[in-house]
Amino acid sequence: MKVIESLKVKEKVYIEKLENGLTVMIIPKKDVKQKYVIWGTKYGSNDSKFVVPGENEPIEVPQGVAHFLEHKMFEQENGTNSLDTLTSLGVNANAYTTNDHTAYLFKGIDNFYEALDELMDYVQHPYFTDENVEKEKGIIGQEIMMYDDSPQWRLYMNTLTAMYHNHPIKIDTAGSIETISHIDKDVLYKCYNTFYNPSNMIFVACGDFVPEEFLEEIKKRLIDTKGNGEIKRIYPEEPEEIVKKREEKQMQVSVPFYCIGLKLKPAANNEEMVKRQIANQIILDILCGKSSKLYNKLYDAGTLFAPPDLEDEEHKDYAFIMMSGVTPDPDKVYKEITNEIETLKAEGIEKSDFERIKKNTYGEYVREYEDVETMGRNFLADAIKGINNFDYLEAIESINLEYTEQILKDLFNEDKMVLSIIK
Amino acid sequence: MNINKTEIKKGINLHTIKTDKFKSNIVSVFLTTTLTKQDVTKNALISLILRRGTSNIKTQAELGIKLEEMYGGLFNSGLDKIGDNHLFKFYLETINDEFLPEHKENVLDESISLLLDIVFNPLTEEGRFKQEYFEQEKVTLQKLIAARKDNKRMYALNRCIEEMYKGTPYGLYKLGSEEDISKIENKDLYAYYKELIRNVRIDIFVSGDIKEDEVMTAIKENSNIKNLPEREPSYTPVELKINETNGEENEVQETMEVSQGNLTIGLDVGAQNQDDIYKSVVYNAILGGSANSKLFQNVREKAHLAYVASSSYLRHKHDIIISCGIEIGNYDKALKIIREQIDDIKNENFTDKDLEEAKKMIIEDLKVIDDEQDSQITYCFGQEIQNVPGVTPEEYIEGINHVTKQDVLDIAKRVKINTIYFLKGENE
Repeated sequence: MKVIESLKVKEKVYIEKLENGLTVMIIPKKDVKQKYVIWGTKYGSNDSKFVVPGENEPIEVPQGVAHFLEHKMFEQENGTNSLDTLTSLGVNANAYTTNDHTAYLFKGIDNFYEALDELMDYVQHPYFTDENVEKEKGIIGQEIMMYDDSPQWRLYMNTLTAMYHNHPIKIDTAGSIETISHIDKDVLYKCYNTFYNPSNMIFVACGDFVPEEFLEEIKKRLIDTKGNGEIKRIYPEEPEEIVKKREEKQMQVSVPFYCIGLKLKPAANNEEMVKRQIANQIILDILCGKSSKLYNKLYDAGTLFAPPDLEDEEHKDYAFIMMSGVTPDPDKVYKEITNEIETLKAEGIEKSDFERIKKNTYGEYVREYEDVETMGRNFLADAIKGINNFDYLEAIESINLEYTEQILKDLFNEDKMVLSIIK
Repeated sequence: MNINKTEIKKGINLHTIKTDKFKSNIVSVFLTTTLTKQDVTKNALISLILRRGTSNIKTQAELGIKLEEMYGGLFNSGLDKIGDNHLFKFYLETINDEFLPEHKENVLDESISLLLDIVFNPLTEEGRFKQEYFEQEKVTLQKLIAARKDNKRMYALNRCIEEMYKGTPYGLYKLGSEEDISKIENKDLYAYYKELIRNVRIDIFVSGDIKEDEVMTAIKENSNIKNLPEREPSYTPVELKINETNGEENEVQETMEVSQGNLTIGLDVGAQNQDDIYKSVVYNAILGGSANSKLFQNVREKAHLAYVASSSYLRHKHDIIISCGIEIGNYDKALKIIREQIDDIKNENFTDKDLEEAKKMIIEDLKVIDDEQDSQITYCFGQEIQNVPGVTPEEYIEGINHVTKQDVLDIAKRVKINTIYFLKGENE
């Protein structure tokens, strides 16, 4: 197995690509009781238009299929439900769907290998019937309604729709009650057969493992499948411009929620993506983090009650930054932040601020290597994008003030910014 | 778990947890005091003011800078209810020196003195809290209390608890009430704070790859600690008892602009001794503690009425709360199914397998405590605060293992619905 080590956090990852195309990553953690495994497929809510390998014509499926499929994977032909089986074994099992991947996971101490049997069995054996597909529509319907009542979620979605014209990132992961009504078992099988092929999947394990031995455990539980060819995914052309500056929605909330979105041009390559993400984080903390002049001014004025939540989402075909929170005056927050960006560009970043925030960022990243679950999830999410998770730690060291200022000038432009409000 | 408890002074304890499993060190300070209607809002306001600055680090901007210099020190504070007590929690988490690019910075020492300064050495002027901070934090507190309504599920849970324990300390909202804020004067509040830190129960936890003697010295020699008097702490040990109830079900409905209804049901259970706790925890797991539970299987999987359908054990109250997010029109249907589940367990309508699985799940959660630095602290403190001797996670596991079907039946027989709370839309 290939071994990559990070001397900074004293961790190693063992990687192997199997003959059928499956990538396996094992991160040994000595003396930790819990073992965590997560099996992901590069298939998320963004992938609703694609060409099935071996076919010529692209097909388009209803929005929300990836998430629906995730729910339905647990159903077994013998009438059992794998989530129940795993729970019976005493492990903590779950699954989730994001924009670019779907993952099945569990963590546990006792009955670990029995649970591994079940996980690997159910992910490789779909069983969909008209009846069980219909039943799920009621449950997912309630899940969608739960999100509908969450101001944070609506705020997030509205920010995306203000930024994106066509890219499916702007669509709700679960779809809508209307779109899921069109889902049937044939669609599910089609998507399963296309995307749940080992060559499109990554298996990550984190815990007290002997990597070579655990690799064998995985291998012997794989059914005989050939890797299929490349899946062509079709994403619509997305202009660099935003859709609209402002989006406001009424909901019963105590204080208005604001989210400032900044639409970014995707990074040229993965190396750039990693480096830029660190630079963005540093810039955002200097701009409006807890020690910033701006945040403390807005706090004193009663405009902010906490530093904005900062998020930088970097992807091959889309990238954006979000700054969000609650405020009595969203327009003021927007104006102050955009002004401060211009000031920072004109005056440059203070060297001492930069060095201090860099230290802060380093500590934040080291903390990502504490528990098996966070590590497993992060390694998977990065591997889906083709990034090795240790690269961020290296990038922090290499990043300098000049590069960070360049990123500030290149990316932080007001004409790419939107303001979404819930009040 | 390798944990050492030392009495620094009467009423002030240091707990050190030495472990090399983690990359961080956590310092935490817990203040425990009896919860009262009169003081609850004051406590909430104090907790907010203390975050603003100390007599050494005067502003939150400076505090931010200090934390950033400590390689992203993570400061957190908050309030909780623990039995009939109000608990102030302060945490400061920093990276262990071994993982810093430049070694030998001794971040832990700095972290201990910073956290103790935040709690015991606030910025004052003219014998009161800095007026500006006092005024600003009143506004912040008012916003925080109002913001309860933004998370519907939590709101419904807390409202159900308030109704269920009406007139008792536990029925108070942990941040107090909006109308009490305006009544608070800075001078009185500061006098109250001074009194509080003289009398409150104080627990300091330090966890990580630490040298215990050095930590002990750092705490003992700390000027804030030196200035604190011995005390007979003014808190209420969490009592184990079974509440007398009249057996009547209290139904409360509230309307809000929501698309989904939140049905929350409070069950009277109670516990007389540690064994009772084990039995009730197993009962709860069978009722709604997992994906195999009665509620999840019947409300969600069979009737498809909900995405969330679960119950949770109120750890220091020993009662149970059920929570379901349902379509508003399905209220009667959902309530009927929930009642059936409660009766089902009473009528021994659960299998040995249900029992074993429930136990397995609980035991797993207990074993995990050892893998999680903050869970170790929380568990240990929870055991300390009871009026019965605490048990180790291993003893707890043993206790769970001994629970029988008859034990669960005994609990089931005394379970009664106390409060049915429903948060629904305005047009229904």
